Amino acid sequence: MTDVTSSTIASSTALGRWDGGTCPFDAGWKKVLMWAFIITDGLLFAGFLGGYGYARAMSTVWPSQAEVFAIPFIAAMTFVLISSSATMASAVWAVENDRPQLARRFVWATTAGAVIFLGMQAVEWSNLIAEGVTLSGNPFGDPLFGAYFFVTTGFHGSHVLIGIIVLVTVSLRLGRSVTTTENVEMAGLYWHFVDLVWVFIFTLFYLV
Amino acid sequence: MESRATTSLKTYWTTWGVLLVLTIVMLGLDQAPLPRLLFVAVMLVAMLTKAMLIAGVFMHLRAERVALVLMIVVGLFINGAILFGLIVPDAVRINEMGP
Repeated sequence: MTDVTSSTIASSTALGRWDGGTCPFDAGWKKVLMWAFIITDGLLFAGFLGGYGYARAMSTVWPSQAEVFAIPFIAAMTFVLISSSATMASAVWAVENDRPQLARRFVWATTAGAVIFLGMQAVEWSNLIAEGVTLSGNPFGDPLFGAYFFVTTGFHGSHVLIGIIVLVTVSLRLGRSVTTTENVEMAGLYWHFVDLVWVFIFTLFYLV
Repeated sequence: MESRATTSLKTYWTTWGVLLVLTIVMLGLDQAPLPRLLFVAVMLVAMLTKAMLIAGVFMHLRAERVALVLMIVVGLFINGAILFGLIVPDAVRINEMGP
């Protein structure tokens, strides 16, 4: 029979936490698995950006960002996404402080930001396609530019679209009081990950 | 046992302000006549600072156990760094290689 005192002491030490019968990460299974998902999804984007870095480093005719993109427009998109991340964090705060209706308003604000961002992304894509940028060529330089741009931002945009579905679901469930604080926090983790990926795309595609 | 962050609303919106300032600085530097290497280095530092703020404050990582943080840092960032570190020098070298 295990001595309770020694097992309590053992579970509080670094090694003891991995001996079994405890939660080594001190987090529920939803949070640990959400982080595992974020790691794998992040590595997807790391692959895209790694490939993009390779193509750009070996190219001698990579298009200049100033020539191709309207940087103030992209800056506005970044502002919208960062603000939506702040409203989502505020939603998590509200639900942790037993204010579900306030949380619901913050989630709707986040959803609005997501829809605006996606609309602006669609405008950007339309402009580039009208200028002749395709998956196989473009009038600005290296033919791989279009492929890397559309695939990377397209995958990010699809994550934003999935995020909109998640946020609407969370908001509806908050309104009916059938969701938990943890579930709102998990939706928040996903949304902040989407913002995090944009931080990398914005810097590596549009600025550097 | 689940760890819960007790971040205040003020902290979240202060972080939002810092993220916006960093973005504006990055946009300003985009127009500045800096040497290429310095420009890239500053952009990468600003980008990673923003990433750490989002991960630490918004995603509550600074309140989580070190084991969870290490899982993410090793799983994501170090793998990504290895990917970049191994691929990009090859890409630079390929132009110098003969047929």
